[in-house]
This record gives sequence, structure tokens and C-alpha cells, in this order.
Amino acid sequence: MARIDIDGGDLVVTIEGMDKLWALKSRLSIPLTNVRGATIDPGAVKEPKGIRAPGAHLPGVIVAGTFHREGERVFWDVRDPAKAIVIELADERYARLIIQVDDPRAAVELIEGARHGA
Amino acid sequence: MTDRSRIVYGEDMGRPRGFDEAEVVRAAAALFADRVYDGVSVDDLVGHLGVHRNSLYKTFGSKRGLYLAALRRHLDDDVRPLAEAVAAADGPAAAADLVAGAGLDLLLLAAVERAPADPEVAALVGEALDVLDQALGAVLPAPDAAATGAFTSALLGLRIRARATDSTTEPGSAALARRFDIR
Repeated sequence: MARIDIDGGDLVVTIEGMDKLWALKSRLSIPLTNVRGATIDPGAVKEPKGIRAPGAHLPGVIVAGTFHREGERVFWDVRDPAKAIVIELADERYARLIIQVDDPRAAVELIEGARHGA
Repeated sequence: MTDRSRIVYGEDMGRPRGFDEAEVVRAAAALFADRVYDGVSVDDLVGHLGVHRNSLYKTFGSKRGLYLAALRRHLDDDVRPLAEAVAAADGPAAAADLVAGAGLDLLLLAAVERAPADPEVAALVGEALDVLDQALGAVLPAPDAAATGAFTSALLGLRIRARATDSTTEPGSAALARRFDIR
């Protein structure tokens, strides 16, 4: 599970609970100008994820950590696909973040709204 | 849409192209014209548009980015040509027929559903309504801003009613045109 905050001009993603052990990362801070959008996407988890390094991937239980596919680096932290959102980035270490949040609709509105105001 | 969002959603982002972007936006516009925004999932988009999920995100940034591109395309490819035909129409009755009979479902859905919640959608809808107001103003004998706005609104209302009841807009649009054809 991840928490989403807007801190000044940055999007801050905080990985909470035990997931931070699997994801090997507890906090990502990204300038809003490098955030291209956010989308509610329960179907994202069905896609091929590529090669994991590093992190944990127990199919059907948890996808967490960094995955490489088609030359892209994608950060995952999802247990419950129904609560997954996709955050597309530009000029960042990760091409996109696919993370589980408590309230996907609120998270996406927060991010899209902050982008618009940035 | 602002210049900034044109860059974010437009042509400037580097990305591989394995598909016809204009075609994808057109197909997305058709999907969004048929269902509410929340009723179109990313799975629906991937399935109907024949584009990989990753390409979709890479090209448009988000579902909202694709929606805004689709609405912009609707404005440029459907609303503006309609407005040109309306402005050149032979009087209010002919103009009213054109507007009442046009495929404006995406604009109408956007106006009702997304515009109140999304400032960028509201700006695009406002732009489309302005374009229609100007075109209808050009065919009214004594146009004023309030009257042309009311004419546009009434015609769009007819369109909504016809869609909801699967009926024709014709007697209504003729009656409206007579009403506004005041010299």
C-alpha cells in the first residue's frame, strides 16, 4: 500500500507497512512537472511485468519492487489489483509507478489536479 | 486547452510509434461518446483501440490525457466543421436542422458529466459552445449574445431529448428557428 501526497511542487509516494521491505523503497519524490498523469487501472496487474530486480513477486499475492520490461523500468507495489493506479512519469528513473492506494479515485484526482495547477 | 497541455498531451513527448495516433484518438472519441468516463476502463481502451497498455500510457500519460485528446479532436473535426456549415446555412431553420441533427454526443456527455469536475474539460466545452454560438449568431437576423446562447442551448437540449427518447429533433428545431427568426 502506498500513500500519495503533494508537497509543494513534488509528488511524494510513501510505501507503507510491510510492503516497503518487499519493494526495497519507502519513499519516492517526483517533481510534478515530470508526472504525466494518473489513472485508475485495476486491469494493469494482468499485464506481463517483465524481469524483477530487485523486489518480490509472488504471483497472486504481491507485486513489489522494480521490474524491467521493453527497456522500461517500472515500480510496482500492488497486492489488491482493484486499488491499483498507474502514474506515468517522464525524465525519471522509473517510466511509471503502478501502486496500490487506499482510495484510487481520490489519489488520481489529487495527482491530476496538482498537475493542472503546477 | 492551454499551450502547456498541448505539450503534455500532444506531439512533443518522445515515444516509439507502433500505431496510428490519430486513429486511436478517433476510436477513443467514439467510445467516450457512448459511455460515461468512469464506464470506460483502461481494459476497454486497450481492447477496443488495439494499443498496448504501455503505449497508451506512454503516448497519452493517463486515461484523462487520452480523453482530453479525444474531446479536442471532436471539437476540431466535428464541431468546427459543423459551425462552418451552420454559419453558411440559408437562415435559422436550416442552421437549426444542422445543429439538432449533428453527432455531438461526446460534447453533450462532457458538458453534463466531466466539465463540472474538470477545468480542462470545462474549457474545451466552453470553446465548443462559443464556436456554435458564433455560427448561429451569423444566421440570426438580429443576433445578440443572450439570444444566440439561448438558441444554441435549446438546440442542444433538443438533441439530448431526441437521444433519450429515440425520437426526431425535427418539429422542435423548426419551431425553435421560427421563435428566434425575429426581425
